[in-house]
Amino acid sequence: MFDNFDLMIEALGAGMWTTVWVTLTSYAIALVIGMVLVVMHVSPAFPARWAANAYTQLFRNVPLLAVLFIMYFGLPKVGIVADNWVWALLGLGMYTGAFVGETMRSGINSIPLGQSEAARSLGLTFGQSLSSVILPQSVRAVIPPLGSLLIALVKNSALVLAIGVPELTARSRRLIEDTQSRFDLWGVIICVTVGYLLIAFVLSYLVRIAEKRTAFVR
Amino acid sequence: MNSKNETTVLFDALGPKGRRNANIAAIASAVVILGVLGWVAYVLYGEGFFESSRWVNPLDALVVETTWIPAIVNTLVAFALGSLVALVLGVFIGFGRISRFLPTRAASTVYVQFFRSLPLVLLIWVSFTIDGHFGFTTDTLGWSGEARRLTFLVLGLGIYNAAILAEILRAGVNALPPGQAMAGQAIGLRHGQVQRLIVLPQVLRNMLPAVLAQLVILLKDTSLGYVITYPELLHSANIIGRDYSNSFLQALIIAALIYFAMAYALSKVVVFAERRMRKKTAAPKAAAQLESVVAGGTAGTVV
Repeated sequence: MFDNFDLMIEALGAGMWTTVWVTLTSYAIALVIGMVLVVMHVSPAFPARWAANAYTQLFRNVPLLAVLFIMYFGLPKVGIVADNWVWALLGLGMYTGAFVGETMRSGINSIPLGQSEAARSLGLTFGQSLSSVILPQSVRAVIPPLGSLLIALVKNSALVLAIGVPELTARSRRLIEDTQSRFDLWGVIICVTVGYLLIAFVLSYLVRIAEKRTAFVR
Repeated sequence: MNSKNETTVLFDALGPKGRRNANIAAIASAVVILGVLGWVAYVLYGEGFFESSRWVNPLDALVVETTWIPAIVNTLVAFALGSLVALVLGVFIGFGRISRFLPTRAASTVYVQFFRSLPLVLLIWVSFTIDGHFGFTTDTLGWSGEARRLTFLVLGLGIYNAAILAEILRAGVNALPPGQAMAGQAIGLRHGQVQRLIVLPQVLRNMLPAVLAQLVILLKDTSLGYVITYPELLHSANIIGRDYSNSFLQALIIAALIYFAMAYALSKVVVFAERRMRKKTAAPKAAAQLESVVAGGTAGTVV
């Protein structure tokens, strides 16, 4: 069943590594975009709020695969050319960024109004009440959903196979369609499944640690 | 609405100077945003992005009739069948997870944990590939290639989303006041009757917004039919783009706009359902609990 086991592990291991670093890099991009969106959402300037809202709606309602296709296959037609790696990271990051922004915003909104009222009535300024009362609480509220966004991003990162980035799914596909049929179908399927389960378990373990580290002592 | 409440508490009410500053900020940000958009439009114009022929050609009446409309129909068919499979399977697995029978509970838990951690694209493609490795193929059933592709797309969508819907339903059962099930037992219903007659209808109604939000995601995910060349919207846009290679980007953008319209309409239904539910639900506490579940559900289940 596991013919040419070492070759298979070598290829799938490389794919797993690609999946992990694509996921983490695009997640970093998504966090930055999400923070910018939150600031725009709560800013007193209404054009900024509209722009943030338009961005969020756009990326929430268009499939990620369509975004990747427009970037990688479409944009060269108007003279914007970049490597598929660049578009994979940007596409995943921009798409997830919209969701990160929404999550962070609902984190701020989830803090009861009484908290900011109390802070204000103590005489804290806007900046003080935000930095020492609201944000510390909303960061804790936001970590679990941000963690599940990270796990979702692992799965979404498989879509970049459509623009030719050799991540785990793409590599396993190449193994199965190997012209000399050196690899057994079931062996590859089992290995790729184990690979994804491993990544998901490790990441959700790390997320749980982060949750515990930041949890309130009640 | 929320951000408005927040601003009134977080900020002091703006004085004349503050209001002037806010206006200046509004104008400045408008100038920046319009500037960026204008620059993008200028660059695109220079590349001939707005040439009318590039937009009109892929929207030729013949192309609309032979490709766009069947593509939209195919997408909607995959969406309808996929959500049907996902809902039916999801109800069974969701209730399996809280079953009193240990093997059922264990099997459902394994199902959910397993399929939630795999990429949907892998599921669709693997199920399409292993067809024929079970001793018979769907080819021998005399199915056309397209029916075969549809079957595996629907299977993938259904199996994956059933795992997520099961979690949503389980959260709904946990959010339901325990008095409901107790009342059912008190009037002498058996466990199965309590679940079927009392718990399930309430859970389905309460979790409708979260379920619909997941269905919006399922609608977007039909685009993954691309990997097994099911002729759905994105795949067809690619084909049109190949035929009219000058309009490749335009064809993709048209497809994206159609997806946007469909998903946006469906998410409006979600908002409507939420509002209706809030009106109908008597217990404010359950509604508040639900809201957090819904928020977590929509945020956590992006694909």
